[in-house]
Parts: sequence; structure tokens; C-alpha cells
Amino acid sequence: MIELIGVSKRFGETAAVDDISLRVERGELCVLVGTSGCGKSTTLRMINRLIEHSDGEIHIDGQQIRDFREETLRRRMGYAIQSTGLFPHWTVARNIGLVPRLLKWPPARIRERVEELMAMLGLSMDEFAGKYPRQLSGGQAQRVGVARALAADPDILLMDEPFGALDPITRETLQQELRELQARLQKTIVFVTHDMDEALRLADRLVVMDGGRIRQQGHPLELLREPADAFVESLLGGEDRGLKEAALLTVGERMMPLSPRLLPRERISRHATLREALSMMLWRHAERLAVVDDEDMPVGELSLRQLVGAKHHE
Amino acid sequence: MSEAVSRRVSRGGTRWLVPLAWSLVLLSACVGMPWLEGLFRLVEPDSRSVIYARADFLTLLGRHLLVVAVAALAAVIIGVGAAVAVTRCAGRDFLPLVAQLASIGQTFPPVAVLALAVPVLGFGTLPIIVALLLYGLLPIVRNTLAGLEGVDPGVREAARGMGMTGGQLLRQVELPLAAPVILAGIRTSVTINIATAAIGATVGASNLGDPIISGIVNGNTAYVLQGALLIGLLALTVDSVFARLQPAAA
Ligand SMILES: Nc1ncnc2c1ncn2[C@@H]1O[C@H](COP(=O)(O)OP(=O)(O)OP(=O)(O)O)[C@@H](O)[C@H]1O
Ligand SMILES: [Mg+2]
Repeated sequence: MIELIGVSKRFGETAAVDDISLRVERGELCVLVGTSGCGKSTTLRMINRLIEHSDGEIHIDGQQIRDFREETLRRRMGYAIQSTGLFPHWTVARNIGLVPRLLKWPPARIRERVEELMAMLGLSMDEFAGKYPRQLSGGQAQRVGVARALAADPDILLMDEPFGALDPITRETLQQELRELQARLQKTIVFVTHDMDEALRLADRLVVMDGGRIRQQGHPLELLREPADAFVESLLGGEDRGLKEAALLTVGERMMPLSPRLLPRERISRHATLREALSMMLWRHAERLAVVDDEDMPVGELSLRQLVGAKHHE
Repeated sequence: MSEAVSRRVSRGGTRWLVPLAWSLVLLSACVGMPWLEGLFRLVEPDSRSVIYARADFLTLLGRHLLVVAVAALAAVIIGVGAAVAVTRCAGRDFLPLVAQLASIGQTFPPVAVLALAVPVLGFGTLPIIVALLLYGLLPIVRNTLAGLEGVDPGVREAARGMGMTGGQLLRQVELPLAAPVILAGIRTSVTINIATAAIGATVGASNLGDPIISGIVNGNTAYVLQGALLIGLLALTVDSVFARLQPAAA
């Protein structure tokens, strides 16, 4: 659990972060969004004390971060940044094993852990373990960066635009993996991104920052439905907010039970998003879709009216 | 596997071929100088002797190397130490001062340093070591600073963020990454000082500068050429060793 209470950071006269309070529960994934220079990275770096906060208090599991030795604090938090910061003179395997080595794990255990992580992030051991960072593509390097952050199995992860340099497909895969990982391992994650779709997809708690202050925070749906002001509204996508919301809801939530009517030919999984359902309707010129479960068995149907959430039935 | 090893060994062998060849040339020049008498006679047909004989060339070479090595070692310790110190958080304020001091050290002519050092340290080897040390400091300090500053800030941030201590960061990340640049600085410093050390002969530090000074004093060009030839060969030999040590240049 991470808690910031009235935290500020001033560089000289200007406040980069101004009196923010934020609570990230254990197992929660908190995403910070906002325009460039609004203090997201500063906030993140204050949590692992790369930057000392000027005012307020920061607690980790109820304990002030100033009570820890800096290195001890950081070794129990994973840290991944956009530029990756991989050591150019170390191989991929050695880079990933950095924190376990700092924690003096036995070599056999480090090797095992590195193998496990490389498998998890889709980096084949044979191909990549001995490579140097300059021999990697941007996306591969970011995967290694994430693997390194996860290496010592920290319960807190700080990630500053970790998927910034990835193509949409790899990015989506990694987002998916991060979500699963987090659901499975109950990590507490603070994640910074510029990509609003990524933010909405990942966040349990979305924090909108502007000029060093928090404009609004809450569940993504909450912010989409009731933005506090015009800034939050436009940052969350303005006109596109409807589609963004649809991307957060699943077909299963809106579908109707099977009716005696003829089942439509177009099928969609109950786990698909409403946005995907809408896209299929547009694409196939269909007003009704059959909803199927994982075994491809029809479990319900979805009409355009239900999809858009119209109040009365046809 | 064994093939790979043998390949590496043979490559290791050829890697050192050039420095080895230069050392052989240097040593044979030291030992075999008398055999070139005919050649030097052409330059100095009227002189009584044309081969410098007041001291053995090998002894002079040894002394020359020793002076340069001691000065270089001190310069490396002081130069790298100072550059590391002023790139730490606590020493940042002194960075401009140290950079400036090092450049002043090099603009100050070694001859002037010698002249100033002799009254304090007396004649002999010590003043020349001091002069070489001051003269050789700049390339080392400058390159160490450049090498350390050249480390990607992202790498430094990640290292700190992962929980490396200052010492671990320096030893495991910054110095290894800066090493090629630092080595290039040491190479420049040493190569310059091999030539500069010759002036030590004027204050009684006998080395390969002796034949040159003696040649100038007695108007014997052959002596001057012998000293210059050996110093040049020494510089080439040492430089070829550095060329081998430096991965970027390999
Ligand atoms: N070390 C520093 N010294 C002085 N000012 C700083 C320092 N670090 C950050 N700032 C200032 O603090 C403000 C917030 O910076 P920060 O890096 O947190 O922004 P950000 O939200 O991460 O931006 P981006 O999205 O571009 O990464 C900026 O105005 C920046 O100029
Ligand atoms: Mg940032």
C-alpha cells in the first residue's frame, strides 16, 4: 500500500508537484495521466526517493519512506522507465539479474529467476540471454526493462511510460500480461503513461494531474461518466468518450438472454468489449449479434439498442 | 569448444604482435647502436666519437621508463580520483575548479615547473616527476570527466532506482562504461610525457634525454639523433601497447 499525504516537491521557486494526496491499495493498479510536465515522473520518483519530497508524507505499508535506507527501499520496488536504462556493458541475463544480485541471492536461484522472467516476457533464453542491449530492438529492450523491474519479485512496481516505444500489438500483449500478472500476484503498481487507451485499459484508479496538482481521481468509468471539469473531459478523449467507455464494458454486461427469435449469424464473444461489438455491427451492417461463450456456444444476444444502453426494450 | 578456445588464443597472440615487434626494435636499437656507427659518422664526420657512450642506452631507457611510469601512476591516481570526486553529489561544486586547475597545469611549461621545483626538491629525478605529473594531469582529468559525464543519464537513473549504492554505481557501471575514454586520456598523457621527460636531463635526472642535451651542449648532432630515435621508438612501443588495451581502437 502506498499513501501520499499532502506531498509537494519544489525545485527552487516552482512547485513541480503541489500538495497531492493519493492512496494506492495493495493489488491496485494506479495510472497517472496528464499533459507533459505536470509532475507525473516527479511523483513516481518521490516514491522511491530518487527525488526527496519537500513537504508532506509518503508511506509504504504504513511506514514513512524516510525511515528506510534508500537502497533497501528501492530494492523492494521495481522501477521501469521509458529509456529502459539497461546497462550497455551487461548482457540481457545479467541486466535482469541485477536486483537479485544486489540482494545477494545465490547464483543458481538468480539464474532460475532470470529464465522464468524471460519466458514470461516472451524472450527466448537461447536467443537473448547473451545479447547486449545495443543488439535489441526498442521493444525487446523495454521487455528486458520490465523483466528487470520484476526480477526480485517486489510487491510495488513503479513504471514510467514503460511501453512507450512499442508497436500497438506488442504493447497490447504486454498490457494484457501486466494485468494478468497483477491480478495473480497482487502487485501494487503506479504507472505513468501518455496513452489514454492504455491508461483506461489498465487502471483500477485513474489519476488526472495538471500543473502539479491532482484534478480528479477514481475508477476510469467514474471519470468518463462524470469528469470534474473541462480539462479532465478533454484529456479523457472529449468527443470520443463514448467509445472509450464502450471499450471498458463487456458484451456480457449488456447482452439479453436468448430469445425464441432466429439467432443472428454474426457472433461475438461475451468477453469482447462493447466497442468491439459496435465495430462488428458497423462492419457487418448487423443490428443484432449472437453472443457466445468460450466454447462458442450461444449464450445470449445483443442488439444495437442494448449496446447503446437505451432504456426501453424493442 | 576447443576450437573456439584455440582461436581466441591465437587471436590473443596476434593481438600482441605489434607491441612485441616495437619492443624488439627498441631493444635492438639500444643494444645495437654501436653497429650503426658508420651511419652516424655521415652526420658527424669530424667528431671524435659519434656514439653516445657516457652511459649504457639500456640503463637510460630503464630510467626513462621508470620516471614516466611513476609520473603516470601518480597522475592517474590524482586525475581519476579528482574527476570522480567532483562528479559525485558532494563534490559537484568543485567541478569547474578542478577542470580549470588541470588545464592550467598543462599550459604551464614543464621547463618552468622544473626551474621552480629544483630549488625546493633539489636536482635529480624528483623535479622531473613533478613536472611530468602536472603536465600529464589534464588529459586524464578531462577524459575521465568526459567519460563519466558521457554515461547515459537513464542508465544512472535506473541503477539508482534499482537500489545500487553510490559505490556500486561507480565501480560496476560508471567506471566500466567510461573506461575506454579514460584509457585514451592516459594514453595521450603518457605519450606526451615520454617525449617531455627528456628535459629531465637538464636537472640531472639521467634518462634518454641525456644524449640529446649532451649533443646540444657539445654540438654533436649524432648524439641528439640517437636520443631522439630511442625516445621516438619508446613512444611508439608504449602507444602500441595502449592501442591493444583499448577495445574501441581494436
Ligand atoms: N531536477 C529538476 N530540476 C528542476 N525542475 C525539474 C526537475 N525535474 C523536473 N522538473 C520540473 O518539474 C516539472 C514536472 O516534471 P515531470 O518530469 O514530473 O513531468 P512529467 O509529468 O513526467 O512530464 P512528461 O510527461 O513530459 O514526462 C516540469 O516542469 C519540470 O521542468
Ligand atoms: Mg515523465
